[in-house]
Amino acid sequence: MSSPPPPSFSSLGCGSVLNEKGEVEMDAIIMDGKSLASGAVSAVKCIANPIKLARLVMEKTEHMLLTDHGANLFAKAMGVPEIPGEKLITERSRERWSKNLEPDSNPQEDPGTVGAVAIDNEGNVACATSTGGLTNKLVGRVGDSACIGSGGYADNHVGAISTTGHGESMMKVVLARLILYHMEQGMSPVEAADTALNYMKTRVGGLGGVIVVSNSGDWAARFSTKQMSWATVKDDQLQYGIYTGEIHTSSVAEALESK
Amino acid sequence: MGTKPVLVVHGGAWAIPDEFGERSIPGIKNAVKSGFAVLEMGGSSMKAVEIAVRALEDDTMFDAGHGAVLNADGYVELDAIIMNGKTLAAGAVSCIRNISNPVTFACSVLEKTPYVMLTGMGANQFAEKLGIPQVPVEELVTDHAKAEWEQYRKYKQTVKSLFNTELVHDTVGAVAIDCEGNVACATSTGGITNKMVGRVGDTPVIGSGGYADNLVGAVSATGHGESIMKVTLARLILFHMEQGDPGSNSCPGAGTRAWISCIPDECKTPEEAADSALHYMEKRVHGRGGVIVISKTGEWTARFTTKRMAWGAIKEGVLMYGLNPGEIIQEIIKPSK
Repeated sequence: MSSPPPPSFSSLGCGSVLNEKGEVEMDAIIMDGKSLASGAVSAVKCIANPIKLARLVMEKTEHMLLTDHGANLFAKAMGVPEIPGEKLITERSRERWSKNLEPDSNPQEDPGTVGAVAIDNEGNVACATSTGGLTNKLVGRVGDSACIGSGGYADNHVGAISTTGHGESMMKVVLARLILYHMEQGMSPVEAADTALNYMKTRVGGLGGVIVVSNSGDWAARFSTKQMSWATVKDDQLQYGIYTGEIHTSSVAEALESK
Repeated sequence: MGTKPVLVVHGGAWAIPDEFGERSIPGIKNAVKSGFAVLEMGGSSMKAVEIAVRALEDDTMFDAGHGAVLNADGYVELDAIIMNGKTLAAGAVSCIRNISNPVTFACSVLEKTPYVMLTGMGANQFAEKLGIPQVPVEELVTDHAKAEWEQYRKYKQTVKSLFNTELVHDTVGAVAIDCEGNVACATSTGGITNKMVGRVGDTPVIGSGGYADNLVGAVSATGHGESIMKVTLARLILFHMEQGDPGSNSCPGAGTRAWISCIPDECKTPEEAADSALHYMEKRVHGRGGVIVISKTGEWTARFTTKRMAWGAIKEGVLMYGLNPGEIIQEIIKPSK
């Protein structure tokens, strides 16, 4: 995940779903598969790039997770600019929030989580996940994206995962860590992801999606939801899809040209 | 009813000084007896772990609820988790203030919301809505916690040095199996002295500070929080216990004989699983800690790589407890009725 040059706000920070008070409140995690170091933030407000703040937690503190007011104090100490909350709210997120104020609404979908996994040319794996959580969630609700092992996990001995979907279900099965456990037992990324997602559906009734990279560079993008937008670049080839079974392929060069 | 109930509690893994150790044991015994009384009456493992941890939270000897340590701003910020092994439902709270019994509040998150985790000011607002009484900070803070905080501010100790010198109070927890074979875990803490405001450790993070699953067992962890998180210690221990277990749903080829890599040698008892995971944590991320573990068949263990861990257990009319490595002191106890 790369951030745009300031001052535009095109990351998830801006456009994220809103909590019940109509505010943007975010969780994010980043993890280094070499050292198992990690940084995460939960329930942060007024920060354009929570993933950057998560990385600062990892690199500049001896802690793994900062939350709420404390996370914002840390951001200030690091010189991370505080963005007025309204600037992170879009038309779409406000509409969705209003719609879900209706008494019979059931905002269970998770339209906003983003994530990435990678392996570099030294064989180091990493993962990152960032989200505004569930739309209209209770203030202070923390989902999987801030929880190591649930929203993401990276270990050079096995691989890296980033997850999306029904946060509480992913936490109950510690989804990212579960998938890597299956891979440790010999499953491929696809088998591991499908086994874990199926388990999550049957055991706790939750749906989700994952991206996985193994420590040998095999990867998978699998989901039990109707759709998940994903894309991969490997060996100069770009692959992407949205719906189950859909895979488009082009060379990276072509894709850049057509843009 | 099938299973013999078991309850295990811990009061923190660290270099407990002698006088603290002596004073911890009565609190440990009281907590394990209170929790076990629930199981004896046919109550649930969830209720038992909540009651046991409440007893430890109310005891100022332990770093949870009353007696918790202070953060960098001189406030008490509390974390807790409780998990139901039957449904995998869990409730967790992080960085909450002015609440006497975070484990009970975590239970409310589980029972009264569709969520697993609430944090900070939002969590406190929800507590207010539920009518959970807010207690003033002074009621939670002991003179000792204040003195320790002042010392650490003076010398600007960091987390690393704290765990290396192990000069820190610690977390409390419990695991239980009830007569229906349901397992549960609960963990509660005030964190580490002089921690950054908003720092959250392993305790409320599912899979790290605790995990419970009827298909395998339950774990509660204590020790160097950041290291516990890096290896997702609670879940790791249960993975070790799952390996080679045909009954486990999360194993490859579950329900069939098509094992990809069932290695009988790998199948671990709670003690082997705990030692293996703690050893891995020490080797891979240089962290130390302790765990209490219960299996789905009622086997249990209390293991630690720190100098000491205060723990207690009751099973089949025997109370066992210890403080030092390898130490198990037994007392026959009368039934509570």
